[in-house]
Amino acid sequence: MQIRKNVLCALTAFSLFSLSAQAQKVAFTEYDLPNGLHVILHEDHHAPVVAVSVMYHVGSKNEVASRTGFAHFFEHLLFEGSDNIKRGQFMKIVSANGGTNNANTTQDRTFYFEVFPSNYLQTGLWLESERMMHPVINDIGVKTQDEVVKEERRQSFDNRPYGNFINTVARDLFTAHPYHNGVIGEMKDIDAAKLDEFKDFFKQYYVPNNAVLTIAGDIDPIKTKALIAGYFGEIPAGPAVVYHKTEETPITKPIIDTFYDANTQIPLMAVAYRVPGKDTRDAKVMQMISNILSQGGSSRLNKKMVDEKKEALQVIAFNYALEDYGMYIIGALPNNGTAPDVLKKDMDDEIVKLQTDLISQEDYDKLENQMEDNFVNANSRQIGIAESLANGYTFYHKHTNELNEELAVYKTITREEIRDAAKKYLDANKRLVLYYLPGKAKAK
Amino acid sequence: MKKLILIAVGALLMQYAQAQTIDRSQQPAPGPAPVISIKDPATFKLANGITVLVVEDHRLPKVTANYMIDAGAVTEGRKAGVLDIMGSMLNEGTKTMTKAQFDEAVDKMGANVNLSSSGGFASALTRYFKSAFELMGQGLKDPAFTQESFDKIKSQDLTGLKSQAKNARAIAARVTNALTYGKNNPNGEFETEESIQNLTLQDVKDFYAKYVTPSRGYLTITGDITPAEAKALATEVLGSWKGAPLALENNPPVANPAKLEIDVVDLPTAVQSEINVVNLVNLKMNDPDYFPALLANYILGGGAQSRLFMNLREKHGFTYGAYSSLGASRWQSTFDASASVRNAKTDSAVTQFLVEVKRMRTEKVSDEELTNAKALYNGSFARGLEDPARTASFASNILINKLPADFYKTYLQKVNAVTADDILRVAQKYMDYDHLRVIIVGSGPQILDGLKKLGYPVNLYDKYAEPVAAATQK
Repeated sequence: MQIRKNVLCALTAFSLFSLSAQAQKVAFTEYDLPNGLHVILHEDHHAPVVAVSVMYHVGSKNEVASRTGFAHFFEHLLFEGSDNIKRGQFMKIVSANGGTNNANTTQDRTFYFEVFPSNYLQTGLWLESERMMHPVINDIGVKTQDEVVKEERRQSFDNRPYGNFINTVARDLFTAHPYHNGVIGEMKDIDAAKLDEFKDFFKQYYVPNNAVLTIAGDIDPIKTKALIAGYFGEIPAGPAVVYHKTEETPITKPIIDTFYDANTQIPLMAVAYRVPGKDTRDAKVMQMISNILSQGGSSRLNKKMVDEKKEALQVIAFNYALEDYGMYIIGALPNNGTAPDVLKKDMDDEIVKLQTDLISQEDYDKLENQMEDNFVNANSRQIGIAESLANGYTFYHKHTNELNEELAVYKTITREEIRDAAKKYLDANKRLVLYYLPGKAKAK
Repeated sequence: MKKLILIAVGALLMQYAQAQTIDRSQQPAPGPAPVISIKDPATFKLANGITVLVVEDHRLPKVTANYMIDAGAVTEGRKAGVLDIMGSMLNEGTKTMTKAQFDEAVDKMGANVNLSSSGGFASALTRYFKSAFELMGQGLKDPAFTQESFDKIKSQDLTGLKSQAKNARAIAARVTNALTYGKNNPNGEFETEESIQNLTLQDVKDFYAKYVTPSRGYLTITGDITPAEAKALATEVLGSWKGAPLALENNPPVANPAKLEIDVVDLPTAVQSEINVVNLVNLKMNDPDYFPALLANYILGGGAQSRLFMNLREKHGFTYGAYSSLGASRWQSTFDASASVRNAKTDSAVTQFLVEVKRMRTEKVSDEELTNAKALYNGSFARGLEDPARTASFASNILINKLPADFYKTYLQKVNAVTADDILRVAQKYMDYDHLRVIIVGSGPQILDGLKKLGYPVNLYDKYAEPVAAATQK
């Protein structure tokens, strides 16, 4: 009886799975406008919702050394209005039409979006095309957003426990590459910038040929294409954006650093490694290593350090994957007053195990299931789908279909590759050892 | 060949596109409003009283279950912190599985199972959902409660408390609740090192026996599953579960201060001040004031184009964001306007908060503001339907708050009927200007002189909401 039941369950599970897996593929169409704007459309009529988004391939890594924070500052500045939208009206128009909007900036790209009831598609296109075509960049906007960004910096970094952790890791892992600077930048750089510099930065990067327009949701593709041509077609192309990756020289001996954070009372012990960029197969391998180390209660660091030895309050292991490189970070917060070096030793022991022994077949099967679960969760909303599609085009060599193929790639990664990547990238001589400690730095 | 045809079609589209005339000098007119349909979830009761709501949605191959015990606010008193610890202990294995075995069983499916003092959550790919749900049920019904786990969780909780000791935002949340509700109220009490140190495993077991139960339980199952399958599974896993009957606490109402006051906590390391402008409100969701109150709060501080944001951020650049909220619940809740502002502008920001609250109470909102606010609620209602669990939360809200059955079906109708007079009336009633508490956590020496000039009493408190004598503060 028991056996028969199991067999039945397995059969149902299989048929359900194959049925759903098909439904899950994210369909899209894509094309370029003559001005170089890349357009991606995803049609889904389940809810009366449309997401309109533009991803500009510009982030903090495009900034020059003495002008850090420019890309993020632009994220704010480009809400200030346009030739046809008065100052202060941009967000008002969105909400007054039942929409929501926001934007965010990383080291590599800036992403603007609106989500509207689907009958406001045209309003979304109008807003984003105004922003791209002729935004108002003037002193009053710069001055206001300068204050706002300073408050953002205080709120999100300087007044928040562990708020400066990622920036410290980036500063130490990258010496030549602009990833050194972090996204928020230095307050003095924006203060010192002249209005013309902002205008030049706009002309250089916020051009149709450096952007992807992605529309997802309850749309009629033929009508949508016509509207897109109308709103975006007349925006002139800019000069091609030229970007040369700065190559870092390999780290050859451990970098040891200490950072003091007055907002914390518990240290954070971390090690960090420079790894290949997100378009590489190895970036995916590192993602799997993160799961082995810290995803779920049964992951190796959680099980050993939190549950068995009870020496850690929390453990982390993740690949902060960026376009040119990634930062692979492993860390722990101590429990019961455990010394940071004790945590470091235990993290190191687990790294050595990964480098020496193949993970078991059971652990490998677990990984496959976790990757599949993550994938399903990532594509549950239209704005999420829009961003995933734009990411594929922007960061995977114009391969918009990346999100549909990613899972299959994970399934081809072998246990041997996982061991070899641990050996190659998690090298104790090629890393940052960061003691992120409570309190204030002692005056020297 | 195929490719060529595609290009030809593309070219045609372009021409069609160019034939469209675009007037970009003004905002385009919207298309016809989409028809919004709300499909009720399948709803039924298990023999032990658990209400089950099922939303069938086969778009993604996954299923999510959420079990919620409607215990209301629970007074912990000297045992403050026990409910959180008890919730954590439910994730520490069962009578038949160690924590390591339980975690392995969950993780190997790529699933998520989490338990807390007020219920449980399980989400998994369709083919693993049954197993994940069974694990959730086992964790709820049959926790291991070992001394070793208890000691670990307790030590983690103490470390966690310590880690938040200098977190301005955490301190502000604690002090705001404690001053607003009083420390004897379940919403005002908080855990301390002392209360945690005094807890025993028996305390955890006692609270478990009392509060983790099928009584007043709501189980929502959403996703790639039929109501019949969900019913069979819920009945199998939770149907025969027995537990204590749950009665809601009836706490005495708390009063607002007699006069507007400013309460300051000195946090020397703060580089920003956390400001909360608060009063208690008595507003239930089935009150006719509910819809005007929703719009009044939105106009004041509900979003990035509301008055607080436009004033404190866009006009003055004091903050990254300023917002307000106005609670509606079976119990007392709060009106709370808040922002993180730089030290030097703390008093100026307080002044602007007060100006905006007063303006809500003395002037009618403009037609434009009202129209826009209604449009936002209409739009967000439509956008919300993207989340398949939304209709289930509608249904459970109706049951928990004793709302009319058509509450959400007529929701937009009621939003759209609100007038500027309604908003003025509810602002006067719920944004209680003369009885506000302005609670600030910030760097005392940099903010106190300015705050004292505002003309309101300024009281000093420590990080645990205990009064501090002014002399020692200096």
